[in-house]
Amino acid sequence: MTSLEIKSGALVSLQDLRPSSPFFKQGASVRIIGKLQEYSTETGLAVIIDGDDILKVNTEHLRDLTFEVGSVYQFIGELLIQPDNEGVLQARVGRNVDGIDLNLYHQSLLLLRQFQASHLNNPATM
Amino acid sequence: MQQQGEGEGANKNNNNNKAGSVSRSLSLQNTHVKLLAFDLLSLTQSPSAFTTTTSFCRRGIPLSRVETLGTVTLRDLKPDRFLRFALDDGTACVPCILWLNNRHSRSVARRRRHELASRFVPLVTLGAVARVRGRLARYKGTVQVVVSDVVLERDPNAEILHRLDCIFLARNCYNLLPK
Repeated sequence: MTSLEIKSGALVSLQDLRPSSPFFKQGASVRIIGKLQEYSTETGLAVIIDGDDILKVNTEHLRDLTFEVGSVYQFIGELLIQPDNEGVLQARVGRNVDGIDLNLYHQSLLLLRQFQASHLNNPATM
Repeated sequence: MQQQGEGEGANKNNNNNKAGSVSRSLSLQNTHVKLLAFDLLSLTQSPSAFTTTTSFCRRGIPLSRVETLGTVTLRDLKPDRFLRFALDDGTACVPCILWLNNRHSRSVARRRRHELASRFVPLVTLGAVARVRGRLARYKGTVQVVVSDVVLERDPNAEILHRLDCIFLARNCYNLLPK
């Protein structure tokens, strides 16, 4: 039985995946949420949006997921930065999350980052 | 007599203090402690003095059972042996194992446990969000959860609420327990 070796998808918003962001790295494992704006059944390429931010998602590995424009989806995968500096998420896991409270989601991300930072600053007490 | 009385009182107090500190230090021992994955994977491990198992501590407080929730991002089924899977909650991946090797056990309790475990297998699919309860164990130097219970979460807010629950409990309960 070999040990499990799989990267966790860091919780980020589409805003965090702008080229200037520290999360915008080749091969970075991320978890993102956004509303489906476009989907091509031929290429398996989805375009999701969150406010003014847009991200392309390659969904060719997701077999059991049906896509509906206007629905909200969550994807976990690796970021592929193309030569033109555009990021495309190579999704390995995805699901429909219609009904999610996006305000609460973004607030929970901020709280989580504070909580993780306080843990890292206080390793002796772990 | 008075001194003896005071002595007895002091001994009682000492005993009460000892009992209090023991009960406090064991306060999380039989609870399914809700932890985020990064917190769970950073538990301190030490070999138990009395058995061959490993004991786990968080901030000096021993714990043995946990509850975690996340997206299934890896699944490896060996029929009649085990289902191994990883739960990703966005902070880390928790390795989990569900044993399936008790089908022909002589023990009725183990066979019952096997029946229950085999019902969990179809629930654990890639991309599903699962709430898992189990016992902490060590495998190849890292923590893993030996699963005793799996519940599939259909509420799209379940992961957010679990995250908030874990942060609230850590700040207002687990971190405040005296060592």
